[in-house]
Amino acid sequence: MFNTLKRLLGFSPELQDTLQQNCFRAKYLVIDLELTGLNPKQDEIVSLAWLPIEDQRIFVGQSEHFINAHVNELKQSPIFHGIDSHALEGGVPLVLALQQLRPLLDKYVLVFHNAELDWLFLKNAFGQFNMPIAATVMVDTMKIEHKRLSLQGQEIGFDDLNLAACRARYSLPEYLTHNALTDALATAELFLAQLNKITSGKGIALRQLV
Amino acid sequence: MTIEQKELLRFISEQAPFNQLDFAATDYFVSHLQVVYVSKENQHQWLNNQAPNLYLIRSGSFDLVEPNGELVARLSEGEYFGYPSLLTGDDIQNQLQVQTDGIVYLLEQDAFDFLRHQYKAFEQYFVRAHANRLLSTHYKNKADNWSERRISEVMNKGAVTLSPDASIRQTAKKMSQHGVSSIMVMEHERLVGVVTDRDLRNRVLATELDPRESVSLIMSAKPKYIFENNRVFSALHLMLRHNIHHLPVLDENHKPLGMLTSTDLLRQQKSDPVQLIGRIYKATTVADVKRYAMEIPELLQGFSHKVEDISLIGKLLSGITDALTSRLIYLFQEDHGAAPTPFSWICFGSQAREEQTLHSDQDNGLLLPDELTAAQQSYFAAMGEFVCEQLSVCGIVKCPGNIMASSPECCLSISAWLAKFSHWVSSPSPQAVLNCKIFFDLRFVEGSNELYKSFSLKLSEMSKNQIFFASMATDINTNSVPIGLFNQFKLEQTPHKYKYLDLKKRGVVIINDIVRLYALSKGVKAANTVERIDLLVKAQANNKRDLYDLKDCWRFLTQLRLRSQINQEGLPSNCINPETLTSLEKHQLKEAFFLVKQAQQAAAFKFARGSL
Repeated sequence: MFNTLKRLLGFSPELQDTLQQNCFRAKYLVIDLELTGLNPKQDEIVSLAWLPIEDQRIFVGQSEHFINAHVNELKQSPIFHGIDSHALEGGVPLVLALQQLRPLLDKYVLVFHNAELDWLFLKNAFGQFNMPIAATVMVDTMKIEHKRLSLQGQEIGFDDLNLAACRARYSLPEYLTHNALTDALATAELFLAQLNKITSGKGIALRQLV
Repeated sequence: MTIEQKELLRFISEQAPFNQLDFAATDYFVSHLQVVYVSKENQHQWLNNQAPNLYLIRSGSFDLVEPNGELVARLSEGEYFGYPSLLTGDDIQNQLQVQTDGIVYLLEQDAFDFLRHQYKAFEQYFVRAHANRLLSTHYKNKADNWSERRISEVMNKGAVTLSPDASIRQTAKKMSQHGVSSIMVMEHERLVGVVTDRDLRNRVLATELDPRESVSLIMSAKPKYIFENNRVFSALHLMLRHNIHHLPVLDENHKPLGMLTSTDLLRQQKSDPVQLIGRIYKATTVADVKRYAMEIPELLQGFSHKVEDISLIGKLLSGITDALTSRLIYLFQEDHGAAPTPFSWICFGSQAREEQTLHSDQDNGLLLPDELTAAQQSYFAAMGEFVCEQLSVCGIVKCPGNIMASSPECCLSISAWLAKFSHWVSSPSPQAVLNCKIFFDLRFVEGSNELYKSFSLKLSEMSKNQIFFASMATDINTNSVPIGLFNQFKLEQTPHKYKYLDLKKRGVVIINDIVRLYALSKGVKAANTVERIDLLVKAQANNKRDLYDLKDCWRFLTQLRLRSQINQEGLPSNCINPETLTSLEKHQLKEAFFLVKQAQQAAAFKFARGSL
């Protein structure tokens, strides 16, 4: 709650306008990161993907996907996301991906599944390459789900909020592959389903989602 | 480097028509599609005229509803909607009603047009779907087996004919002018005879007959003939059976179109099963007959991979059984003397319908004149005994219900047979209805065709009984197609939890029953379901479109049955697991069952006055 308030207060007038608009009219960029671990201080970004949603449509053809060619230590990545040292050879320096992503941050409302973690990694990465970024509006499908389940008075277990479990609750198809691109699509679909369910299709002000 | 949209590519590439196109088509579709979530809340914003799109369902279920509120179809995973207006440019007619929210892939008009122009098969798929003629087109392209071809496709058109008052010399001149080896003799626009080169040699030159005599002296009168719309296989069968090399081809009005010769057929590919039938008809000992019969299973196995239409396999097997029967009757007469009176050997059930499989058992009988002496009776009893016994040695198992000419119950005089049928027709108990289903599919096999014809005429007069038709119609409606409310499959389950659909019991049998009922009510004599339908069309008994639909369904279902017999594990025969079908096949199957259901209801309405 405190975090949300702090974020809201820090928003520029333009962003305040964005927050007032109907959630169905906003333009979204759904981002997913694959990481070597959960600690932003030690772990690294393995890959990064995004795709846009406009007008309740996910534009698959405008999706982007980058593998970081310079991961120092892959750790469990080959197992989790199928990215091994061979795949890294086809990657690019992370800075190239960040350069493409940065201008998009101002145009879109960002969507993550677990925004806190991914955003922390992104912010660090931008900082590492001396690329200043402004405050942005962000939506978290995990938080939305948490809130929805809490309102229904459900007990929430450890695994109930992962992407697959959330999708299953909306009867979305089961995906077998797990890479940043598939997960970004999976998150985007989950987000559309959530928007429809929690607003009964009418839409609400975006600020209520943030 | 870009990792592909694996989940999308996999799903799309498995869908018709993409499973038949280059991977590039799938790739194009994936990179141009938009993913949308269609819910009850937002359903109004899809499928509207502002921007027509192609929609492909990934999850959820959706109803297409006509403007008048009538349900067109319930659609689910793998099914498309929205394409009609993309193809025609017309306004969208139907509305979408969401039953379960889900993910739908959407392709805009220009991307659709790109694929349509790039891939002919893509366009064809949607044009066909749109024309709603999925069923009939499914197998049309596949009917490429030579013996399945229509006779009109392989014959030389141009009939050479003359009248019976022509002289033998005139006949020979005309044949030589036209360069033909046979000629048709016509009187009052009716075919009355055939003269061949061989007749000129054997019946004129060899006997020193005066060539000024009339041709009617040397022609083969009442020749066999065939219709242009019959299959080549039927012609072969006829020629081999009667050892003739020239077969007049007539159109529907018995107008001659030309002569089909054995050379015409030799030009076509040779077929082993057909040669086998030829050998059986020439066998001189019972041992030979048995030896040839042993080849049947292996031969059919090799053959079944080549033919696309299972109805041909049924025809072949029935043809082979006919051949075995005929030859055994011939051999019996060789040993025991010619039959003392005319008789007809008849068959029932699947052999009569020409739907025999390797597992079908014997269903046959002897039809005899009234008032036989005891000696004559025992002659035919012995014939029935011999033929049925030898057929079973040849691999056609005996009928557990004892519907065989060897049983006194099925070796009867015309009046005894009629009494039997009359009893079933006038007091249609469930057992009687069951009997009718077997015995009313009957066909002449060997012996006197005249005797059989006089019987079948009396039979069809007798069976015209409204109460009997009503009880048949009621019986048909006790069997239901496996389609539930809103067009979903209703599956059955084996003890091992395999889910399946029984295509025979819940599809083919129902169609057979419906068609039999109409055939009986119209006095149609054929026993084969497809032939019955064709004759019903000719008799203008029902709406043509409905009959063609039934025929399409019958073929589609038997087709699927063939596949299920080849590659299913853990399922009862004739059953399939619908999960193994492509989305197109699922759609067609639903359509087929739907049409069968409509036909059932129509039959009930017509014959039972809807009183169910």
